[in-house]
Amino acid sequence: MNKLKSFLGYAAAILSPLIVLVSFMGLDYLAEPFMTATGLEVSANFTGGEVVQTVDHGTYQAAIHRPVFDALIGERKTGFVQIDWAPLDALPALVEEEVDIDGDGQADMGLQVDVAGEETALTAYAPWVLEMEGTYRLPESLAVRVTLRNPNR
Amino acid sequence: MTTSARALSGPPRLGVWKGLLLWLPIALISALTPLQVLQSGEVGLFGLAALIAWAVFNTFFALIFITGKTHRFRAVLFILVAVALPLEFVPYMIETYGSMMLTEATMLSSGASFCPLTMPMILIPALFKRVVIFPGELLPSAAHGAFSVMFIVWVGSSLALGRGWCSWGCFYGGWDELFSRIRVRKRPLLRRIDRRWIYLPFAVLLAIVLLSALTYGPVYCEWLCPFKIVTEFQAPSSALAIFQIATFVSLFIGLVVVLPLLSRRRVQCGLFCPFGAMQSLLNKINIFEVRIDTEKCSKCQRCLRSCPTFSLDESSLESGKPLLTCTKCAACIDACPQGAIAYHIKGTRIGVRPNVARGLYLYPAMILMSFIGAGIFTSGLYRVLKLVATGSMI
Repeated sequence: MNKLKSFLGYAAAILSPLIVLVSFMGLDYLAEPFMTATGLEVSANFTGGEVVQTVDHGTYQAAIHRPVFDALIGERKTGFVQIDWAPLDALPALVEEEVDIDGDGQADMGLQVDVAGEETALTAYAPWVLEMEGTYRLPESLAVRVTLRNPNR
Repeated sequence: MTTSARALSGPPRLGVWKGLLLWLPIALISALTPLQVLQSGEVGLFGLAALIAWAVFNTFFALIFITGKTHRFRAVLFILVAVALPLEFVPYMIETYGSMMLTEATMLSSGASFCPLTMPMILIPALFKRVVIFPGELLPSAAHGAFSVMFIVWVGSSLALGRGWCSWGCFYGGWDELFSRIRVRKRPLLRRIDRRWIYLPFAVLLAIVLLSALTYGPVYCEWLCPFKIVTEFQAPSSALAIFQIATFVSLFIGLVVVLPLLSRRRVQCGLFCPFGAMQSLLNKINIFEVRIDTEKCSKCQRCLRSCPTFSLDESSLESGKPLLTCTKCAACIDACPQGAIAYHIKGTRIGVRPNVARGLYLYPAMILMSFIGAGIFTSGLYRVLKLVATGSMI
């Protein structure tokens, strides 16, 4: 038994440098299959969540994301909705958008975005639309986040 | 220490030729990086930096094999890596984002860099919701530290070295090591630190894992990581952000500078780092450990005084085992005048072929250090060479 344990110990020790080598040299081959296999995605708290509606304004488009109330268990009491406008160089000085967040055919809030000043005026129509969270210039779009109360809680 | 005790100190020396022979495989494997750089046609300053890095790291690797002293030379490289990190990372941040500060817009576009310290926070949401709660990139790209890269390297190094990561792979720990080795007084001012503090990192680990899962955000990165001071941090856009900045700056000054200076120990690594705590737990699946031959041990306690991570106490000398937090840095091995402490392979007999166990441990450790550490050192040195040649690091 001691000899077997000793043999297995040395075998594992000899494998150790190979494990380190494979984990570095195989990065190019392992990274993508690993991500595909695990199906991991960056949290919607950072990405804004999936786009559920696109509004075409001719020279530019608005992308309305799903409301994000993500939590480990259930949903949060408050969350946000993100709206992106792109392309950046085609945006007018003032972007105006009536946003239907819950998809019932009626606008839940109105946004007036001063593109150069990166400031947004919010008009809430639905009681669960709370306040402006921020206006952000991203690499390819201008984004706005509005704080929402979770209507399901 | 008497002259005869000094002569006995540490593991037996291998001699120049035997040492060089054992070093040769490492020299060849670590040459892959500069060769790759030169093959890609990068023969300018970056190629020069890669060659210098290879030479520096391999000089110290060779000395480790030849002299039998591990910690003395490992620590120098470990410090060089940590110092090189901001030399490389800060200019990258300025080039990409204009400053070291991450704005909310940068985070919304997943512009933060992953580091291994994020792993404990990510695990629960990743397992249960398939979600990574960090605003970084998942697949490798031009940006630093993608999640997939960090995860694979973390798994590989944990399997091969366990908590050895903390003395061979970590690119922050060298700051702690640096300040713990600066001698401001003849004797350390803080000599007695209650042993119960070694459990604090486990408490921090539990707290950040739970809080990150509950808040769905990387709590340690947002609030506690002292090493944001040498990499990237959130812009002071609100009172909360200013408070967060004050918190991590205070932690850096306290845990990485002042306490290591006063105690000559790696206080952040030994008494706070939650990633280190996780590596201590993962160490169970690793085959290498440090063991004390209780028959050879003279109980002089030199090892206790030399351990930088509070991983040895009187009970260790009785049981022959360091505490859970041992980072396999080899400070105790170098310090032991009886040669009673050695790297050991689990399952084998204590005290039998210590040089074989040492050699087998040093290979994965040096490979890890040459890929991570020499890579960072190359990039940092490149920025310095660029500064000298062009007057700008950018």
